[in-house]
Amino acid sequence: MALAEPRKSAVQPTWVERIPAIWWALLLVLLTMPAWANDFILFQVMGWTFVLGMIALSLMFLAGYGGMVSLIQMSVAAMAGYMVAIFGASGVGDISMGLPWWLYIPIAIVIAAIFGTVVGALAVRTEGIYTIMITLAIASAFFYFTRQNYTIFNGYSGFNLVVPPQLFGVDWRQPMPFYYLTLGCAGLCYGAVVYVSRAPFGLALQGVRDNPRRMAALGFNVTAHRVASYTFASVIASIGGILLVWQNAQIAPGTAGIPAVIDILVIAVIGGITRPIGPFIGALIYVLLRTFSPDVLLAFGLSGERFKLLVGLGFLALVFFSPDGVLGLWERWRARRARRRDPLTGGEE
Amino acid sequence: MTETVPAGRLSSVSSGNALELRGVTKMFGALAAISDITLTVRSGERRAVLGSNGAGKTTLFNCVTGDFLPTGGTIRLFGEDVTRFPAYERIRRGLRRTYQISLLFNGLTVADNVYLACRGVSRGRFSFLRPRESDALIARADELIAAVHLQDWRDISVANLSYGQQRQLEIALALAGAPRLILFDEPAAGLSPTERSELIAILQGLPGHIGYIIIEHDMDVALRVAESVTMMHNGTIFKEGTPEEIENDQEVQELYLGDGHA
Amino acid sequence: MQGFIQRNPVWSLLIALVVAVLLWLVFAPWSDELEEVLGRKRVFLNAIFGGITLGALYFLVASGFTLIFGLMRNVNLAHGSLYLLGGYIGFEVSEWSGSWFLAFPVVFVIVAVVGLILQNQVFRRMEGEELRQTMVTIGLSVVIADLMLWRWGGQSYTIYAPDMLFGPMTLPVISSVRDSGEIVYLKYPAVRMAILFAAIVIGVGMWLVLNKTRLGMLIRAGVDDREMLAASGVRIQYVFLAVFAFGAGLAGMAGIVGGTFQSLSPGEDTRFLLASLVVVIVGGMGSIPGAAIGALIIGLSEQLGLVYAPTYSVVFTFLIMAAVLAFRPQGLLGERR
Ligand SMILES: Nc1ncnc2c1ncn2[C@@H]1O[C@H](COP(=O)(O)OP(=O)(O)OP(=O)(O)O)[C@@H](O)[C@H]1O
Ligand SMILES: [Mg+2]
Repeated sequence: MALAEPRKSAVQPTWVERIPAIWWALLLVLLTMPAWANDFILFQVMGWTFVLGMIALSLMFLAGYGGMVSLIQMSVAAMAGYMVAIFGASGVGDISMGLPWWLYIPIAIVIAAIFGTVVGALAVRTEGIYTIMITLAIASAFFYFTRQNYTIFNGYSGFNLVVPPQLFGVDWRQPMPFYYLTLGCAGLCYGAVVYVSRAPFGLALQGVRDNPRRMAALGFNVTAHRVASYTFASVIASIGGILLVWQNAQIAPGTAGIPAVIDILVIAVIGGITRPIGPFIGALIYVLLRTFSPDVLLAFGLSGERFKLLVGLGFLALVFFSPDGVLGLWERWRARRARRRDPLTGGEE
Repeated sequence: MTETVPAGRLSSVSSGNALELRGVTKMFGALAAISDITLTVRSGERRAVLGSNGAGKTTLFNCVTGDFLPTGGTIRLFGEDVTRFPAYERIRRGLRRTYQISLLFNGLTVADNVYLACRGVSRGRFSFLRPRESDALIARADELIAAVHLQDWRDISVANLSYGQQRQLEIALALAGAPRLILFDEPAAGLSPTERSELIAILQGLPGHIGYIIIEHDMDVALRVAESVTMMHNGTIFKEGTPEEIENDQEVQELYLGDGHA
Repeated sequence: MQGFIQRNPVWSLLIALVVAVLLWLVFAPWSDELEEVLGRKRVFLNAIFGGITLGALYFLVASGFTLIFGLMRNVNLAHGSLYLLGGYIGFEVSEWSGSWFLAFPVVFVIVAVVGLILQNQVFRRMEGEELRQTMVTIGLSVVIADLMLWRWGGQSYTIYAPDMLFGPMTLPVISSVRDSGEIVYLKYPAVRMAILFAAIVIGVGMWLVLNKTRLGMLIRAGVDDREMLAASGVRIQYVFLAVFAFGAGLAGMAGIVGGTFQSLSPGEDTRFLLASLVVVIVGGMGSIPGAAIGALIIGLSEQLGLVYAPTYSVVFTFLIMAAVLAFRPQGLLGERR
C-alpha cells in the first residue's frame, strides 16, 4: 500500500502555493453547480458524495499519514449523528432533549471525538493488520449495542425526523442550501487535512508512520501522537456524521452496520488513500455507482440488486491492479504519457 | 514554541556524570546480549566503545536510549534514574543517538527529517499550525543540513539519497536541539575517506559540554575522537582505559587487534 | 503451565477461583437463597451449556482462521464467507441425499478446494502485503456474499439433524431437586452435545498434530521462522496450501454445524467473521489453545449475558475484548510481538 507522497518541505511554508488551473476550474464548477444541475444531483449525488467523502477523509488521514487503517470512522460518524438526535430534536420525544443547535452540535462532536479517541487508544496498542481487526470488532460491537439498547439509542428503530436547524431563515435540507452546506464543510475539512499534513503535528504523524522507533528516539511520544490523530480524525468524521443524519433525516443502527463500515474503507481505497482528494473521488464513484448502477444492470437484464456485486468486483479489480486507487492509476497514466512526450525531463510538475 | 531545554538543565551539565550504568543486563531469550555492565561516563566525556561483532555494543546503546528495557540493572542519566523511562523522555533530557543501520523517514524530505528532529526536542510537537518562515527551528534545521553538507539535497525524499548521505543525515538528526550526550553507533561505517574526515571534523568541533560515546571498528578513527576507551567482549566490559593504554594492552592486542579485525 | 503459575501467582489464583465457582455452580444443587439471587438453576445451566456449545462452534470457525494467520500471516477476511458457503452447500447436500453425515465430507472437500484456490491465486501473489490481503479478502467477501444472496436468497435455512441426534439427552448434572426429594437431571439437545464432542476431538486432534508430528513441527517452525523453513528446502508452498485448505474446510464444516443448531442467512458470514476476530483477539493470534479459550470465554459471555442482561450482552463481549487489549494486547495466549 502506497503512503502519502512526500511533498514540498515544511521548511519553506508554501502559503501562497501556485494553485494549478484545474483546481480553479473545479472550484468554479462546484460553486456554480446549482445553476445548472437538478435537485436530485445536488442533494442525492453531490450532497451524499461530500458527506461520505468527509467520513472517508478521516480514514484517509489515519491511513495515509498515520499508517493506521481504522474501520471505526463510520461508527464515530454515527455516534455524532446519534448525539445530534439525542441532544437535539427528533421524532422520538421520550429520548430527545431538544437543546438548541449551538449546544447540541458541539456536544455531539465532543462526544464522538471522545469515543473515537478511546477506540484509538485501544487500537494503537497494536499495529498493522491488528488495527483493522480490532477497529472492525469494536465497530460491530457499536452496531449491535445501538441495536440492543433502547434507553439511549432507541434500539432497532433509531431516530427519525432529525433535521437541521432553521438557521438564518433557511431550510438547510432544501437541495441548494444543503449542497452548499456540505460543500462548505467538505471544503473546510479538506483544507484542514491539507494544512495539518504540513504542520508539525501532521509531519510528525508521517514520521510515526515511516518509523515509529526513530520518532521515539527523536523525543516524540509515539503513542500519544497516534491517539491524538484519532481525535483529529474523529472530529472530521463526526462533522460528516451530523450532515449524514440531517440528509437522511433519520439514524438507525444500520447507519453504522458492517456493510456501511466496509463501504467507507472501499470508498477511501477506490479513491486512493495517499492524498486527501482521494476519498472524495472515491465517494463520487461510489455514489454514482450506487445511484445509477441499478438502471444499468436492469438494462443488461440483471436485477438491480446486483449492485453490490458490481461494487465488489470493481473494488477487487482495483486493489488487484492499482493498490493506490484511482489516483494511483491516474498518476501512473500521466507519468507514462509524460515519459513518452519527453524522455529527458520526465513529468511536467 | 521555539527553544528547547530549560536553562536550569543546561547549568547542571558541567557537574557530575552524564551516564551511570549499574549491573545492566539484557537477555534475548536465553542469550545474554549484555550482562552486568557497570559503566560511568562523565559529563562532556568522549568515549569510544570497541568490541568484535556481537559483543553487545548496540544492545548497550539500545538499553541506554530506552529502545529496549534492560532485563536488570539501573541506568542513571544526568543523575536521574531513567531505567524505566520511555525513550522519548530520555531524549528530552538531552540524550541523542544514531543508528548503525539508518532509521530515517523515507517518505519525507531531508529538510522534513531534520525539522522533525528539531521539533521532537522542543515544544509544539502537537502544533496544528504550520511553521512560519521565520521559525527559529527551520533556521536551525538548515544549519544542521549544511553541517553535514546536504543542502543541495534539502528537498529530496530520503529514499533517493545515497548510502553515505543517509549516514550523514543520521548524524544531523542526532545533533538537533541541545544534546548533552550523544551515542554514535558506527557512524563511519561505509563512508568514503572524505566523508570520514568530515565526520571527524564534526565530532572534534562539538562544543565542550557535549559528551559522546562512539562505537567504531576503525581504531584510527576511534582513537582520534575519543579520550577514553571501553573494550567489550561477549556482552561484558573487558577493559577500560585511555587510548594509549588500550592500544598497548597485551590482552587487547591478542583478543582484538591480533586476529586482524575487519 | 507451571511457569505461568510461578510468574503470575495472583492471576492463577483468580482464574482458579472463577473456574472453581463455576464448577460448583454447575454441579452442586442450588439452595433456595441462591435461586432467589440467580434465578432457576436450569436457566443458568442452559446458559452455561449453550455458551460452551456456542464456544465450540466459534472454535471450529476461529481455529482455521488463527491457524492460517499463525502460519502464513495471511489475513483472510473472507473466512466468514467460507463458513456460510459451507453451510449452504451442506444444506443442499443433506436435502438432496437425506444424510446429514454425508454433508460433512462433501462440504469439507468443496470448501477446502475454494481455500486452495484462494491461497494459490490470491494470497501467494501478495505475500507479506497484509493490507492488500485485507482489502482483497474484504472485496471477495462482498462478492461472495452477493453471489450467495443471488443463489439462496434472503430467507433463512435450517439444516435438520439426523434422527439419531434428534431430541434431548440426559446429562449427569443436577438441574433441580423436587420437593419430594427427587433429583431432576439436566436434559440437553443431543445434537449439541455431539457438536461439543466433535469440537473437542478436532481441537485435541489439531493440537496433537501440531505438537507431536513431523507435519506439525514443520508448521510450527513456519510460525516461528519462515526463512529457516524455506531455507531448509521444505516445499513450504505445499505446507501453506495444505494448512489453508484444512482451515477453509473446517470453516465450511462449521457452517453445517451452525446451520444445524442455529440458522443460515445473509449476514451470518460477517457475524462469524467477527466472532472469529474477537475470539483470536482475546485468545491470541495464531494460537490454537488460545482460540479454544477465547471461543469458550466469548461463547459463555454471550449466552450468560443473553440470559442475565439481555440489553448488554454485546457489551460484555466488547468489555472482555477491551480489557484484553488494554492489559495483554497480544491476547491471552499470544506471543508478545
Ligand atoms: N533484537 C534482538 N533479538 C535477539 N537477539 C539480539 C537482538 N539484538 C541483538 N541480539 C543479539 O545480541 C548480541 C549482541 O548484539 P549487538 O547488536 O549488541 O552486537 P554489536 O556489538 O553491536 O555487534 P556489531 O559489531 O555487529 O554491531 C548478538 O548475539 C545479537 O545476535
Ligand atoms: Mg552493533
